[in-house]
Amino acid sequence: MEYSSLHRQLATMKKSFFDQGFLDEQFFQIEELQDDVSPNFVEEVVTLFFKDSLRLMGNIDHALEKFPQDFDRLDSLIHQLKGSASSIGAAKMKNECTVFRDFCDKENQEGCIRSFQKVKKEHACLRQKLENYFQLLRQVGPVAKATRSGN
Amino acid sequence: MANSMLLALLVEDNAIARVVVSKLMVEQGMALEEAENGKAAVESVKGGKSYDLILMDREMPVMDGHEATKQLRLLGVKAPIVALSADTQQCHKDLFLQAGADEFIEKPLTKDKLAQILTKYGLRRGP
Repeated sequence: MEYSSLHRQLATMKKSFFDQGFLDEQFFQIEELQDDVSPNFVEEVVTLFFKDSLRLMGNIDHALEKFPQDFDRLDSLIHQLKGSASSIGAAKMKNECTVFRDFCDKENQEGCIRSFQKVKKEHACLRQKLENYFQLLRQVGPVAKATRSGN
Repeated sequence: MANSMLLALLVEDNAIARVVVSKLMVEQGMALEEAENGKAAVESVKGGKSYDLILMDREMPVMDGHEATKQLRLLGVKAPIVALSADTQQCHKDLFLQAGADEFIEKPLTKDKLAQILTKYGLRRGP
């Protein structure tokens, strides 16, 4: 009984990530790659993403402190972050990175700083949500192949 | 010959993207090598490597995808080169095709898109 309740919680949680725009179709693609050979593929990729993105965001923070601003360097860093976000389906983060890049193109330092705060906020939010998700997933144990219905 | 694995080269600077595409390729029965930028890809070919398929990212440090594609074609690479980019502006597509890419796919690469590419270029493994 408790097991199916946990399953339902998991499905509801995952559905909310998509409904609220935190994740997109790419996350399903990653789930579909999980198999007997790589039974924890999704969590491994997501963990790698958060480790890599923290490093990149630290570099961006550091780069934003410089004066005069090196917008080419900033652009290169946010391009990396956007690419990583896109690879795991982190939709809101990806979109905020796009906004940041637009400010970089216009060499608008204040705009970059403001939009980067939003990038960090989305990152923290997604991280919390996915940490909770994987914690619950571990309680449930190995699950069947992912379905788009969220069931 | 019939049983040897087909070999693809993924030219991509993003580590997360490389992990995901690598898994996609393995699932499709392709062996995969990776290069972190265009220059590494060109060096690989200059070093004698031969590939059945090249997946080429656009924006990369050191040497971007356009330039790498151009140089690979100048080196005589005949393998299909599929450009990958999140930026689908026509100018970028045109540049890639002019450089010698066979087609342009919007990132991220999905299972279906990869299957289409492999089928199109006769690279799908048998049943």
